[in-house]
Amino acid sequence: MIPTPDLIDLLAARLTPVRRLRGPMTRAAQWLLLASMVTVMLVVAHGVRPDFWQCLLDQSFVVGTAASVGTGIGAALAAFLLSLPDRSRRWALSPLPPLAVWLSMIGYQCLSNWVAFDPDGLRWGEAARCFSTLVMVSLPLALTILVMLRHSAPLRSALATLMAGLSVSAITATVLSLIHNPDASIMVLAWNLGTVAAIIGASSTIGRRFMGLAFARG
Amino acid sequence: MPPSSTHHSPVLSVVEASLTAPRVPDVDWSILMARAQGGDAVAYRRLLEEIAPYVRSLAAKWCREPDQVEEIVQDTLLTIHAIRQTYDPARPFGPWLAAITRRRMADQLRRNGLRRQREGPLTREHETFPSTQANNPEDAPERRALGLAINQLPLGQRQAIELLKLREMSLKEAAVTTGMSITALKVATHRGLKALRKLLAGGEVR
Repeated sequence: MIPTPDLIDLLAARLTPVRRLRGPMTRAAQWLLLASMVTVMLVVAHGVRPDFWQCLLDQSFVVGTAASVGTGIGAALAAFLLSLPDRSRRWALSPLPPLAVWLSMIGYQCLSNWVAFDPDGLRWGEAARCFSTLVMVSLPLALTILVMLRHSAPLRSALATLMAGLSVSAITATVLSLIHNPDASIMVLAWNLGTVAAIIGASSTIGRRFMGLAFARG
Repeated sequence: MPPSSTHHSPVLSVVEASLTAPRVPDVDWSILMARAQGGDAVAYRRLLEEIAPYVRSLAAKWCREPDQVEEIVQDTLLTIHAIRQTYDPARPFGPWLAAITRRRMADQLRRNGLRRQREGPLTREHETFPSTQANNPEDAPERRALGLAINQLPLGQRQAIELLKLREMSLKEAAVTTGMSITALKVATHRGLKALRKLLAGGEVR
């Protein structure tokens, strides 16, 4: 261990100007804008589900979709707030009410239908197509939010990462519910939260190394 | 006044309450940090020099080992350096600093916990290990056999083996002790080892 005054000299010598981060609300809004752009692009490319207009009359569909959108927004805000050291951890509670509503409306049809038997033979079921859409939506969103939250790595903010994963899940599920018949929410949640668990596990084991990298760059 | 009375978390308020130093120039630190974000190295050095004792006093409340306290201080300074762009000068500096310090203290406590799991204190048994003759009872029969075999050697060879191999003297020291020449010692050792090998392999002494 070098003496602390020497460390201070070293850090002062390596000081470079940094661009201050924008406020967490602004950054969350930027990311949500990206998410809505992805949603719009997919809906335009893929088209809404055949029974979309009927669904709009179905109260449970409307409430469930609103709840998943709410979860996505709440969790995104919480993730950006919690990535800063001095914000209250209670922000993590903010997506819970819409999450509870959303989970209470989730179906599990998608999980039960991976392969379909047709007169023509075996073919990929709805689940497989669901899954490819899922990856297409959640991957870019997850990568963007993790890059935007990278400064929280030295703080080891597992909670912020968890919130980010929840937000990506909720948004992906919303997109899928707009373009697919079967409700894929369970699969979406399992995929995204599984990814988050993997990220948190990896970062807690190699967290120190990442920190070292951050310092080397700084 | 402690850094901020507007932003309270339980741990922070305990730390604040127990902090007897009356003056923590929170506003000054905010300004210094804002300048440091712009690349002002002088302001940055002053900031780090001023906050180091404050961080040390926070850490000392949780940790008694001076080495570990210093480690927390340095980890905190490094973290501040790595994430200095996240500080918003519109917000008080104290809670930001204290929150980072708390994370690094938690890390240190976690490391201590891991160390306790992995390492045990040295006991008397551990202390005797370096002197192999004191313990390792499994070796006793072999040592006895070796002792008997050495006793069967002629005097010159026995002396040479005991002084050079068992007591690990240098040739010069052994020569002074025995009055034999260095060459004679070398020859005696060589012959002694050869004889021992034969004795032990033949099992005559067992």
